[in-house]
This record gives sequence, C-alpha cells and structure tokens, in this order.
Amino acid sequence: MNNLVDVAIQYAPTLFDGLQVSLSLTLLSLAFGLPIGLLFAFGVTAGNKPFRYVSVFLVEVGRGAPALVLLQLMYYGLPNADITLSSLASASLALTWTTAAYSAELIRGGIQSVPPGEVEGSHALGMSYRDCLRFVVIPQGLRIALPSLMGFAVLLFQATSLAYSVAVPELMSQAYSIGSSTFQYLPVFIIAGLLYAAISIPATWLSVYAERVLSRHL
Amino acid sequence: MIEPNLRTGKPVVQVRNLAKAYGPHVVLRDVSLSVQEGSVTAMIGPSGAGKSTVLRCMNLLEQPDGGEIEIDGHLIVAGRKPNPKNLAALRRSAGMVFQHFNLFPHMTVLRNVSLPQERVLGCTRDEANEKSMELLKRMGLAEKADQYPSRCSGGQQQRIAIARALALGPRVMLFDEPTSALDPEVGVEVLEVMKELASTGMTMVVVTHEMAFAGNVADELVVMADGGIIEKGEPGQILQDPQHDRTRRFLRAVLER
Amino acid sequence: MLRAIAIGLPLTVLVTILALMIGTVVALPIVAGLRSKNRILWLLSRALVDLLRGVPPVVWLFILYYGVSIGAIRLTALQAGVLGLGVVAAAYLAEIFRGAISSIPKGQWEASSALGFHRATVWSRIIGPQTARAVVPAYTTFAIGLLKDSSIASSIGVAEIVFMSSQYARQSGEGIMVFFVAAGVYILLSVPLGLLSRHLDVKMRKAVAR
Repeated sequence: MNNLVDVAIQYAPTLFDGLQVSLSLTLLSLAFGLPIGLLFAFGVTAGNKPFRYVSVFLVEVGRGAPALVLLQLMYYGLPNADITLSSLASASLALTWTTAAYSAELIRGGIQSVPPGEVEGSHALGMSYRDCLRFVVIPQGLRIALPSLMGFAVLLFQATSLAYSVAVPELMSQAYSIGSSTFQYLPVFIIAGLLYAAISIPATWLSVYAERVLSRHL
Repeated sequence: MIEPNLRTGKPVVQVRNLAKAYGPHVVLRDVSLSVQEGSVTAMIGPSGAGKSTVLRCMNLLEQPDGGEIEIDGHLIVAGRKPNPKNLAALRRSAGMVFQHFNLFPHMTVLRNVSLPQERVLGCTRDEANEKSMELLKRMGLAEKADQYPSRCSGGQQQRIAIARALALGPRVMLFDEPTSALDPEVGVEVLEVMKELASTGMTMVVVTHEMAFAGNVADELVVMADGGIIEKGEPGQILQDPQHDRTRRFLRAVLER
Repeated sequence: MLRAIAIGLPLTVLVTILALMIGTVVALPIVAGLRSKNRILWLLSRALVDLLRGVPPVVWLFILYYGVSIGAIRLTALQAGVLGLGVVAAAYLAEIFRGAISSIPKGQWEASSALGFHRATVWSRIIGPQTARAVVPAYTTFAIGLLKDSSIASSIGVAEIVFMSSQYARQSGEGIMVFFVAAGVYILLSVPLGLLSRHLDVKMRKAVAR
C-alpha cells in the first residue's frame, strides 16, 4: 500500500501528462470522426455508386479490423507511402477511422428509428427532402443515437491505451516507462487503471442518464 | 389565406381512374371522384376499402400505379416521374392531417407551425410566427405555443397539426381519420374545429368513421369497399336509404355498435 | 507475409475461445449478484462490473503479466492474456445476460409461480431457454468484438496475428500490405460468427412461431 502511495505521489505529474495526451487523442478522433461518421451513415445507402462503395469499404474495415491493427497500419504503413506524420497524428488518423466507422452505424440506426410518420408529415407539408433531413430526421436521429455514441466515446478513450504501441506518449506509455525503469510495475499500472476508471465510469453513468432523459421526450 | 368562396362549381380535386396494388393485392381499382370547391366530402367504408390510400395518393405519399390526380390545376400522371416543382406546388395546395398527428416532437408547438411556412413559403421568421400565433389563438391554443407537443393532449396535438397544415394556405384540406386515435370526448374538440373550418368555405376531404360528422357536416358522401367506390352522393340520402347491400351491411355494423 | 499471419492465427482463435469460455462461466455468478436483493451483494457486483469495464483491457493484461507474482511464479503471456480478457469479458457478458433476462415478460415469472414450479424448474425450463434465445444476437456480437480484442494480447507478447504482423512489418518494411491483410483476416473470421448468429436466430424463432 505504501508503495502505491509513494509511486503515486512521485510520478503523478508524468502520469497526468500522459492522461492529457490520451484525452486529446480521444477528443481529436471524436471531432473528426463523428462528422465523417454522419457522412458515411448516408453514404452506405447512397445512390451514387462510387460514394457508396467507398463508404461501405471504409465502414466495414473500420469496424471489422481491431483498433490496434488500424493503429499499426497507419504507423508502419504511412511511411511506406512516403507520408510521414507524427505518432500522435497517425494515431489520430487511425482512431478517427474507427470512430467514423462505428458512429456511421450508430447514427444510421438512430436515423432509421425516426418515426416514419414524421417524415410523411414533412413531405405532406411540401418540405424539400433536404429540409426534411435537416430539420426532422438528423436532429432526431442524432438524439436517438446519442447514448450509444456516448458509450462509444468511452470505449474510444479506453482504446487510446493501445496507442502506446505506436509511440504516442499517452497514459499507458508513461506508465510502462515508469514501470520498466523502477520495476514497480504493479503500483503504477494500478494507478493508471484507476485514472482510466475515474473518467470512464462517470462517463458511462452519464450516458445511461442521457438515455433515460432522452427517451422521456421522444 | 382562406378566402371564403362561393361554390363556383370548379373542382379543386379531380381523381381519375386511380389504381394501386401491392404486389398481388389490389388496393384501388379504377377510383374516380371530383371534389367541388368549398365542399366537404366524407369518405367512409370498411377497413381495407382503400379510403386512406386514395387520400394518400392525392398528395403522392403513395405512388399510384394507374390514373391521374389533379389538384388546383397541378396534374400528376401515374407511371411518369412527377416534376419536382409540380409536386411541391401540389403539396402546397393540399394540406394533410394524419391519424397520429405527426407533429415534430423535438420542436416547440410554435416552431412546428412556423417552420413549414419559413421553408416552404419562404416567409421570414416574424411573418411565420405572427401567422402561427393567429391560428393557434383561433384554436384556443395560444398559451401552448412555447411548449413541446408531448406536453399537450391528443386533441390539442391534432388541433396544432391542423393549424400547421392551414398555415400554408392550402386550397384543400385532407383529413386521414383525424379522430380515430383520440378518446371520443377529446375527438369532439377536433370535430368542432373541422366544422368551423368547413363553415368558412374550406374544401375538405375527410376519411372518417364518425358517422355523425359525415351525416351533418359533409356535402358529399363517398362509400368505398374492396378498392372501389360503391356509392356516392348526398349523405342524408345514403345513410337513410343505402342503395347497395354492402353499404347496408357496413352501416348496420357501424350504427349498431 | 501470409505465413506470418498464418502462424499468428491459431493463437488468435485460441485466446478468443478461451476468453469467451471463461467470460461466460464467470459471468453467471456476477449476474446473480446483479439481480440479488441483498444490498451488499448487489453493490459488490455492480462495483466489480463497473471497474472491470472502466479500465482498458490492456491495463488488466499488463497488471496480470508484469505485476502479479506469487513467490517466483508468474503468469505466462498466454495465461495472462486469456485470464485478463476472460475476466473483462465476464463483466460485459454479465450485463448482456442481465439485459436478456429482464427482457423476458414479467408474465412468464407470474405464470410459473402460479403453476407452483420450483425455482430450479423455472430457470431450467421457462426462463433459461427464453434467455438463451434473447441473448444470441448480443452474445455473438460480443464474441466478434472479443475476437478483435484478442489482438490486445500482442502487447504482452502473445504470438497472435497482430504480434506476428508487427514483427513482419518491422523486418520487411511492407507495413501497409500486411496490416490490410491482417484486417481482412479478422473480417473474414467474423463472417462465420455472423452467419451462425443468423442461423441460430432463425432456428430459435421457428421454435416459438406463433
């Protein structure tokens, strides 16, 4: 126990730096991934064949491949194509892909859950297809999908722990280097775990709460 | 705006030889009818007769397989892809009220009534809101303007839906079983609004099970069964003395519940 | 390149299956705890599930592999990997099972009581089979997810697909190709699971056709 507290106090700053990187990576991937996911949500059923094939391919690979594979793909693969990005950038690219792929499915599910009667109502009023999407379908689809998207955000945050394998100085990476230099593996990993939990658990409760609140008004 | 018109004898809605089938199941066979300006047409008949389908074909929520629809001079021919501008104009001329209201739950009542005006008619927000408040006041629902539909009763929601459709200044109002999802007491509020609307000269086509409304308010009664019109004419006459056996059977079942 | 992936394949499958089995078995007492009326039991189960799910699997694997030693005995990479992933799986499966059980209409319980069945009979004959059917979609979806998570075991040195692919990539420099192929392998592996799920779903629906 003493060990734990000592390690905690001594290495807190380093670990918190790592946590910050983890959170940045999460937020970056969400910021880019969600809008692209919205695009793909429509793309997979689009009439335009090239757009549809590309969307389906990116969604299927983004969801079917483990996040670790996508991370390694970007990290090892990009230099092959003569693209050199920082480790944080290539990790963000990989996790943005994952986010876009999963959120495409979640948003698509939300959009399909919008009561068809409302779509008919807007058609009967003479609203254009675009207006119907903009004012009726998308706002409600996103609202329905929100709890699942929040749940996904938590999983994404946990997935950033894999970015240590591509040299991103996030929490896991910091914990591992502290562990390997001090051989105090157990305490430092426990603390890292607690830091992840401290964010994941309340975030999960929030998404459960969001689900309850949102289902009240719809 | 609704301008009370004398009955000029010009049909606002014309349906010619409408046909619709879902695979092997024929829902409409050769349905034709004309709706005069300022008149109220009630459509009754057993379930599955095709009444709602006719209504929904009128504003192309359903695509007819055969026949023609003309509303306020805008013509749609089945089988040919409708011209988008033409379709939009037709839908502007025909307001529809649904059985399940179909209000937008994520917007306030006021926004529900104003948004279509802004997007479809191109009004400014202020113009739209002014019109909306006027209509809501007429319905006695002005104080509900900033609330969400879920906080309103079924009867209130339906009246809001009627306001929303009226706000676009349609030439004809189509009602698809407007009171079927409401308790009888609550349905009365809605029927009152419809009665008042009729008295201002609005052309209306109402699919309904409310025989009293059909008998007292409608100018023309259309009885449908098995995808076709079996009787058409003066409500009083048909209800008292139906010509067809099928009509007799239906009326007996309805009136003796 | 394909050789590298082919060498990693057996361990990927093994880790997935073993973790799934451990997870399924360990989930059962946890579900019981989650459904218990006993405050303490419920609290412990709830805390356990939240903790297991709130910490990334990689951290659990590292704790088990690098951190745990009883005397001179330490877990091998494979043991740590399977145990870690299995216990995390148990937490997720406990929630899935709980959801499936609560989706069964209350009337089933009421009818069973009214008929005077023993608890054991209610579970084995009435609630159990219905839960099994309700759980198939979520269970197979989770299994597919676990297949992908098996890749995490590469971080503690289990020679599964990702481990072998990284090794190959470092040595040969053909990063893009090998990882695209690896991704393809994971996707292909999930196809039979998806088909099985649909098949079971159809079969079970026929059994209850009204």
